[in-house]
Amino acid sequence: MSRLLSPLSKWVVRWSVVLGALCAPVPANAQSIVADLSTREVAISTGFTGAELLLFGATEGFGDIVVTVEGPKRDEIIRRKERVAGIWVNGMSVTFEDAPAYYRTAASKPLSEIASPQVLEKLQIGSGRIDLTTRSQGNAERDLKFRDAFIRSKERQALYSEDISDIKIIRGRLFRSTIPFPVNVPTGTYQVTVHLFKDGRLVSSEKTPLTVRKVGLEAKIYDFAHEHAAWYGMIAIAIALMAGWLAGVIFRRA
Amino acid sequence: MQIYLPIAEMSLNALMLLGLGGMVGFLSGMFGVGGGFLMTPLLIFIGVPPAVAVGTEANQVVAASVSGALAHWRRGNVDIRMGVVLMIGGFIGSTLGVSLFTFLREIGQIDFVIAVSYVLFLGIVGILMVVESVRAWFRSRNPSAPRRKLHHHTWLHGLPFKMRFRRSKLYISALLPLGVGVVVGILAAIMGVGGGFVMVPAMIYLLGMPTSVVVGTSLFQIVFVTANVTFLQSVNNQTVDIVLAMLLVVGSVIGAQIGARVGSRLRGEEVRIALGLIVLAVCARVAWTLVATPDDLYSLGIGGAH
Repeated sequence: MSRLLSPLSKWVVRWSVVLGALCAPVPANAQSIVADLSTREVAISTGFTGAELLLFGATEGFGDIVVTVEGPKRDEIIRRKERVAGIWVNGMSVTFEDAPAYYRTAASKPLSEIASPQVLEKLQIGSGRIDLTTRSQGNAERDLKFRDAFIRSKERQALYSEDISDIKIIRGRLFRSTIPFPVNVPTGTYQVTVHLFKDGRLVSSEKTPLTVRKVGLEAKIYDFAHEHAAWYGMIAIAIALMAGWLAGVIFRRA
Repeated sequence: MQIYLPIAEMSLNALMLLGLGGMVGFLSGMFGVGGGFLMTPLLIFIGVPPAVAVGTEANQVVAASVSGALAHWRRGNVDIRMGVVLMIGGFIGSTLGVSLFTFLREIGQIDFVIAVSYVLFLGIVGILMVVESVRAWFRSRNPSAPRRKLHHHTWLHGLPFKMRFRRSKLYISALLPLGVGVVVGILAAIMGVGGGFVMVPAMIYLLGMPTSVVVGTSLFQIVFVTANVTFLQSVNNQTVDIVLAMLLVVGSVIGAQIGARVGSRLRGEEVRIALGLIVLAVCARVAWTLVATPDDLYSLGIGGAH
C-alpha cells in the first residue's frame, strides 16, 4: 500500500513546492528558481524505444531560462576514414577524455540573445562550448576538426541536441521543457541544470540529478554478460544446443 | 512490436527479427547451408553493431547446426576421427580468431576486416558456385562430354603425420584436415559463420572425402567450433546477445523446415545457381559499403571506456 501511495505523495509534495513558490511572498530581489522532473529515473526495459521527460518549474519574476542536461562522462574515440586503394578505412583517431555521453541545451530564446559568448563560455552552455580534452598532444587545428566531427556524430545519434524554442514560459513564471532520450541513451547519472538569466547575467541556477538505468530482465542479462562472462557464454551455448535439439525433435515427429 | 536487445543496446522489431530468421532459415534449409554468411551481413545492414552481429550469429549457428549434426550422427554419416581432427584445428583457429577480433576491435578496424572478409569469401564462393553449377547444368544436357578426373595426386599427399580415416576411406596427412579446421575456425570467429561454405568444398576437393560423410562431419565440427566462438566472444568482448540469438533461432528453425521441403522438389543445379547469385548479391552489397564515400568521414568508436 505504501508503495502505491508514495509516488502519488511525492507528486503532491513536488507540485505543492511549485505552487508554494508561485504563491509565497518572496523579497523583491531574491531571484529564485524551482524545478523538477516528471520522473527522476529513466528505466530501460523490454519495450524501451526512447523516452521523453518533462521538466517543469517556476521562476521568481521575468527572465530567460536555459536548461542543460549532461550525461555520464567517459572517454570517447572519434575516428576519421581515409581512402586507401579505393576503399574507406579508419585512419587517425582522437580520444576525448571525460566527454559527456549525452548533452542537451534548451533555451527560451536564442542563446546569443540571452547572454554574451564570454558568459556562456564560462558556464559551458551549448554543445560547442563543453570541455573536451584530448590525451594526445596533437595540433590544435586537427583537434578542432575532430571536436566538430565528434559533436556532429553525437547529434546524428540524437545524443547531443540544442533546442532554442523548447522552453515554454507561461505567464512569465511557470516554465516547462521536454528532455528527449533516444533508444541508445547511455546509462548512468545525468545532471539537469536550470539557469535563470536576467539582462545577460546568471542570477540563479538549480541542479537536479537524473538516473538512466536498465531494469528487469534486460538489466540482468547485461550485468550477467559483463560480470560473469564465462557463465554467460556457457549458458548461451546450452540454450542454443537445447533449442536446436528441441527443434529437431519437434519437426521429426511433425 | 519493439524489443530492446540488451547487448546490442538497441530496439528492433521482434516480428522483423523472426521474419529475418525465417527467411534466412528458409534459404539455408532449401540449399542445405548454415545461413550465417547471409544472416551476419543482414544484421549489419539493419544497424546491429558488426561485432555484436558476429558474436550473436556464432551462437545462432550452434542452434542451427546441432539438430542436423545429431541426425547425421544417428545415420552414421559422421567420420568421427576426421571430425575430431577438424575440431582440434577449429579450436586453434577460432581461439586465434577471437584474439585477433578483440585486437582489431581495440584499434577500430574490426568493421573493416569483417566487411573485407565477407567480400572476399562471398565473392570467391559465389563465383565458384555459379561457374560449377552452370557447367554441371550444361553437362546434364550433354551427357557425352568428358568427365573430370575424380582424384588428383599432388604434393599435398606427400605431407607427414599420415593418418587413416576409415569412414572416409582415406590415408592422408593429419595436417590437411587440421589446416582446414584452423582456417574455418578463424573465419567462424571473424565472420560469425559456421564456415560450411568453405569447409564442404575443401573436404570434397582438397581432402577427397566421399560426399556421403561430408555434410555430417562438417556439421559435427561446426557445432563445436561455433560453441567455442560463442564462449570466447562472451568472455573477451561481451558481444553475444542472447535475446537476439533466440529470436533468430526460433525464426530460422521454422524457416529451415519449410525450406528443406521446398528444396527437395527443385533441381540441384538450378538451386545452386540461385544460391550462388544470392551470395554474389550480398557480396556486392557489402563491397558497396567499402567503396561508397561515407556521409561523414568521422565516426564514433566503441564508447564506454569509462
